[in-house]
Amino acid sequence: MTTVTLQNLRKEFGDVVAVKGIDLEIEDGEFLVIVGPSGCGKSTTLRLLAGLEATTGGRIEMDERDVTGVEPKDRNVAMVFQNYALYPHMTGRRNITFGMKSSGDFTDEEIERRVEDAAETLDIVDLLDRKPEAMSGGERQRVALGRAIVRDPDAFLMDEPLSNLDAKLRIQMRAELARLHSALETTTVYVTHDQTEAMTLGERVVVMNDGQIMQVDEPQALYDFPANRFVAEFIGDPAMNMIPVDIEDGRAVHDAFTLPLPSVDEPASTDRNGAGDAPLGDTQRAVLGIRPEDFHLPDARSDDGLPRIDAEVNVREPLGDSLLLHCSIGATSCNIQAAPRTAVRAGETVSVTYDPARLHLFDAETGDAFYHSESHHSTDEQVLSRASK
Amino acid sequence: MSTREIFDSRIESGLLLLPTLLVSVVFLYYPTALAVRTSFFDSSFGQADEFVGLKNYVTLLTDSGYHSSLLLSVVFALVVVVGVIAVSLYLTFLIHEVDTGQGVYLISVIWPYALPPAVGALVFLFIAHPTLGVLTGPIEALGVDVDWFNDGPQAFVVVALAAIWKQIGYNVIFMIAAMNNIPDTLTETAELDGVGGIRRLVSVYVPIMTPTLFFLVIINTIYAFFSTFAFVDLLTSGGPSNATNILIFDLYQEGFSFFNFGVASAKSVVLFLVVGVLMFVQFRVTDEYSYYGA
Repeated sequence: MTTVTLQNLRKEFGDVVAVKGIDLEIEDGEFLVIVGPSGCGKSTTLRLLAGLEATTGGRIEMDERDVTGVEPKDRNVAMVFQNYALYPHMTGRRNITFGMKSSGDFTDEEIERRVEDAAETLDIVDLLDRKPEAMSGGERQRVALGRAIVRDPDAFLMDEPLSNLDAKLRIQMRAELARLHSALETTTVYVTHDQTEAMTLGERVVVMNDGQIMQVDEPQALYDFPANRFVAEFIGDPAMNMIPVDIEDGRAVHDAFTLPLPSVDEPASTDRNGAGDAPLGDTQRAVLGIRPEDFHLPDARSDDGLPRIDAEVNVREPLGDSLLLHCSIGATSCNIQAAPRTAVRAGETVSVTYDPARLHLFDAETGDAFYHSESHHSTDEQVLSRASK
Repeated sequence: MSTREIFDSRIESGLLLLPTLLVSVVFLYYPTALAVRTSFFDSSFGQADEFVGLKNYVTLLTDSGYHSSLLLSVVFALVVVVGVIAVSLYLTFLIHEVDTGQGVYLISVIWPYALPPAVGALVFLFIAHPTLGVLTGPIEALGVDVDWFNDGPQAFVVVALAAIWKQIGYNVIFMIAAMNNIPDTLTETAELDGVGGIRRLVSVYVPIMTPTLFFLVIINTIYAFFSTFAFVDLLTSGGPSNATNILIFDLYQEGFSFFNFGVASAKSVVLFLVVGVLMFVQFRVTDEYSYYGA
């Protein structure tokens, strides 16, 4: 059980700055997911944590012990790699025990007992006498997990462990990882580029881009209250629509529509991400963010007095559980998620409405969010009361 | 079953094969056949070849000097092969572990291989000459009397060391390529587990490198039997008291010092068979123990 603290952590490779001074506190027993696009510095951050890369600057603490310059083996962390990193010439059992036997810190009986426990936990008893070449991808990753858990490390570091698996197996292993974490309650840092993995596994999610942390929050909060355009567009699939607008007298004005912006009525709740306290009365350029599922086709909602927006459908993509419409609103491209089997043809113009509680405004220059029409977490009661309306 | 039709006609493919076939026949197969033939004849300068059947082979069977030369060659090959592999492996590992200046270390290890054998032998003579050698002083300071012009076992060691020194570069080139091919994550896993350097080399790297290592064992065996001639010739001439008289030098002397072409040919056939049998055994072992995983 370990708390991990990163202070102004930096990593440079020659002229390239991979990690640009990040601060992060990972709580004891937490499942923290770091997500971001390729080259955002997420894997480097994990490798710095493991000690596989030397830091250029900053400090790493584990339970208030400074481990910045400490050798990987003395950090008591276990890592799981994307390519499993199993020794190809060793059986599953030897793969699991090799490190423990080499380090000499464990007796043979202790090793044997731990292997049996881990094998049972992960259901890999049958794999112990097989070599990796005789295992499937999922089996290999389970053995790699077994190797990580037998050592009872202070923290698990996982570098895209499910990326090499096929889609079905990935979902299965995802559930297994979640189950494993709730059973072991070991601090876990999990790196992925897959936002679904991030959202489903993480108790908190760190979104990184360009060597910096964009936002750290619980998965739903990231989705509902993105701190900036990057997070808004990165989290959620299909991505949030970004529509350039002018803000005039509390309204968002676009060539094709004018939307009233619900005023922020709870001052106490405006502190999330610093958004919500912007002077919406002033005229300014901004970017309006609306998620595709927050648009509604007219007959999907009763008349609610909201303004209608005309959207020309360019392409329709039936996804099975929904219908994705690629549209143009004025000169702006937009995605709208409609109910499946909605009778809309390409070339048609539809009149759509939107969820007024799900509007976001981003600064046109910096991309920082300065307004969320619902600037606080909804309680379950509020969600229920809204659903019943 | 489909056949691959790359060339329009057999003549075209035949023409393209011709140079290789010609060189192989003229310089390889014909001399081999001739050597086998000569081994059944009494052959020397200034006299007609006389068929003697297996007499030359019987001579070899009863020649105790030849027996000791054969044994010496096998021991020499064993020392050279084990020495080359062990030293090269350790040097490769050290080079693999350094972060900066890998190229410099690599070049300094490889350069003896770039020398022609005769030049290599002469360079080694300058290094280890009993009176003039640059290393002789320091070694004698350790209490060793360097006298390999007269001391048989010392001469054997010196020739073996020269042969090892010359062949390290070739081995390191292949080994570093194989070692660099090992996924970094295996090294990193070992580091996280606290597996020490030498244990990592022996228990992780070597098993994964076995295909390369077996290839090198075979190449080094051939090298030790055939290509170490220059070292023996220039350093010891087979002496002192035949202490370094390995088969390849022995048959050269038989043929070109004593002009007994028949016996020399028989010796070369025997050498060919010895190496051939060793190759066969090594290939069998390779198939059994070599790891050819993904």
